[in-house]
Amino acid sequence: MTSNKTPGQPAPTHPLSSNGGLSTLTRRSMLGLAGLAAAGATVGAWPRLTGTDIPGRGSKAMNIAILGTSADAAARQGLVDAFKAAHPGIPVQVQAIQGADWKDFFSKILTMVAAGTPPDVVYVATEGAQLFADKLAEPLDDYIRRDATDMTDYFDDVHPSLLEAFMYQGSLYQLPLDWNAANMYLNTTTFEQAGLDRPKDDWTQDDFTTTLRALKKARPADFTPYYWTNRLFGGVVPWLYANDTSFLAETKSSGGSWFWDRFYPNDPARATRGGGYQWLAPNAEDGRVIETFDYLRELVAEGLGVRPESGGGNALVGLFGNNRIGTTPAGGYWAQGLHDAGMTSDQFDVQFFPRWRTQRHQFGAAGYAIMRTAKDKDAAWEWVKFCASREAMQLAIPAPNTTPTRRSMVNASFYSVTGPRHWKVFYDTLDRFPTSGPIPAPPQQAAVETALMKNVSTAVSGSSADVRTAMGTLQRDLELALRRNS
Amino acid sequence: MTATAVTRRQTAAPPAVRRSFIERRLAMIFLAPTVLGMALFTFLPIIGSLVLAFFRWDIISAPQFVGLDNFASLAGDPTVRVSFLNTIVFVIVAVALQLGIALSLASMLQGRMPSWLRVFLRSTFFFPLVLSAASVSIFMRYMFNEQFGVVNWLLSLIGIPAVPWLTSPVGSAAVVVLVYVWQNFGFSFLLFLGALTNIPKELHEAANLDGATGWKQFRHVTLPLISPTVLVASVMAIISALQVFDQPYVLTNGGPGDSTRTAVMVIFESAFQQLEFGRASAIGLVLTLLILAVTALQFRLSRRFVFYQ
Repeated sequence: MTSNKTPGQPAPTHPLSSNGGLSTLTRRSMLGLAGLAAAGATVGAWPRLTGTDIPGRGSKAMNIAILGTSADAAARQGLVDAFKAAHPGIPVQVQAIQGADWKDFFSKILTMVAAGTPPDVVYVATEGAQLFADKLAEPLDDYIRRDATDMTDYFDDVHPSLLEAFMYQGSLYQLPLDWNAANMYLNTTTFEQAGLDRPKDDWTQDDFTTTLRALKKARPADFTPYYWTNRLFGGVVPWLYANDTSFLAETKSSGGSWFWDRFYPNDPARATRGGGYQWLAPNAEDGRVIETFDYLRELVAEGLGVRPESGGGNALVGLFGNNRIGTTPAGGYWAQGLHDAGMTSDQFDVQFFPRWRTQRHQFGAAGYAIMRTAKDKDAAWEWVKFCASREAMQLAIPAPNTTPTRRSMVNASFYSVTGPRHWKVFYDTLDRFPTSGPIPAPPQQAAVETALMKNVSTAVSGSSADVRTAMGTLQRDLELALRRNS
Repeated sequence: MTATAVTRRQTAAPPAVRRSFIERRLAMIFLAPTVLGMALFTFLPIIGSLVLAFFRWDIISAPQFVGLDNFASLAGDPTVRVSFLNTIVFVIVAVALQLGIALSLASMLQGRMPSWLRVFLRSTFFFPLVLSAASVSIFMRYMFNEQFGVVNWLLSLIGIPAVPWLTSPVGSAAVVVLVYVWQNFGFSFLLFLGALTNIPKELHEAANLDGATGWKQFRHVTLPLISPTVLVASVMAIISALQVFDQPYVLTNGGPGDSTRTAVMVIFESAFQQLEFGRASAIGLVLTLLILAVTALQFRLSRRFVFYQ
């Protein structure tokens, strides 16, 4: 055996080792080093391990949760900066929480509550207004009474129907900042091809059916005259409201006079205002509900409307933009979406939802709710109040990707780039049809929505007899939904 | 030598015992993070969920003990009943297809073909498994859209009218099974490929000499030899299929009606949408018992059908 040892050098202590330094590293030293490395990694990752890097945790800043992406949070930076300038002593942090829809967003907020890291303020839509009012949110009554003079400007500019949607058992829980009614969007290119003009303001359900038939005749292939989706907003509910009914019996709780008498003494509908909507019992087997579902089933059967599970969201904007859809229910938020999809202001228009027994519209709205667990409720109220100011609302809603609740902001200038031509329809909906109401969303909203969605699809996919059966199932599911968690 | 030194030498453990002690300690140190992780994130939640099944809890209010009420309410809940029935039917159809397709394709790849083609096919069959189930389901939802989907467009080219893939009970169930099987057969395929490759060629040659070819050879030589793999693949496929969630949730959201609603979907909806964590835990417990029962049955039956060399 030959040796490759250089004369004068000591022999390596291990046959495989050629490095004297490493060769002296014992197993104990190795373990020590590994331990040190682990300790170092632990120290480095400590904020992640302890969750202190979660926005809001361990911070004294007021944490405001919104539905959206980090880009949506960044888009509110102007608003945050303006608030900080007005209230330098109140640090604010906007936390964007992603969710497929409001239901998903609320689930995540509740998970944060369970984890002991609830936000201080949450942007809540009508879908969750009563869930928050019932379990999580702080009533604003005392703050509104205290700052009544400051608030007059806001209430003078906002329709009372929008406020009523956020009253619960006589107390007001949110100041709505944006809203949308389920109006009817019209694809003017397809209307022109069918030789149709924009329908009249008081067009009826029969006019609507005739319009769809004309649209179908003009474009028999690759085209859907009426596209609707299976969800609370813009789904079956606008038709139920137009037919003067709903899948839940709607009443109003007592109370609220303190608010209406102070801020809306001249409201023409004052006598109908109360302490907030109540949906306490199912109403799915009502004759008008069955009639409404049967009408929608006929639209599907005749090829005038899609089955409601077919899709929505961005796909719907794309299809509408490519003239593959003639009409669809949507609100002011669609103006920017269609503009972004490449439609010019004359390629689409909007009209009120058709009249059936009534022309009552469905709407949805949203605003900030102060959590009962908020660290500093007074500071949170300052945020809520600031966001309701005209200055803040202009910063928060610079383009028509939703409809501002302040009437003065819904003007020609706001829609000058996007259209539609008849943008006045958006706010006129509330003036013309003062009984228009919010999405029916009791505190058990998630269970109610699940029950509705699954039975809508069954009801409109079969025969007329199937509608009655599906409504029986919906009635049963709603009873279960309202009974549980009540 | 002093008396102390003698005593120390007498009491010191022999080197082998000492080494074994150190190794045991080292093993414990290295295993500790995993054991701790499992205790925190697996065993504790299991115990928590067992306990929760006897409570009513909506996250916000304090939990309220309700005894067996959550379990009693499940029996009378038609949605739960239908979802379990759907899950069982789904498991039967999807697992049969998954294993059948995987075994057929693995056998096909054992035949003569250029090595590049074998590599290409192997990768192609496995590829769907590495994709996100949610992404695939979103993509497939567009593909199978009744009005604007590519599938119906292709069918229209040969004169077939639009099929309501995702809006009819049969169509939606078929699409959910199809997408699930397409995405999951790759794992079973790899298991079968490994098992088939390990069968000694001599056995097939001997079978050929005895006149057993084709189906007979597969039935009497190949299948018995890969039966342990078939058992493992079927156990894993059934457990996975019993927990199906992503595909029906994204493709159909359980609809139309309840036609594609599965047990795990109901657990998710109960807990995270309807805030009935006790009820969700009770359903989860029933599903766990079902999985255990099915797996135990499989192992019991395997004594008759599985051939160990």
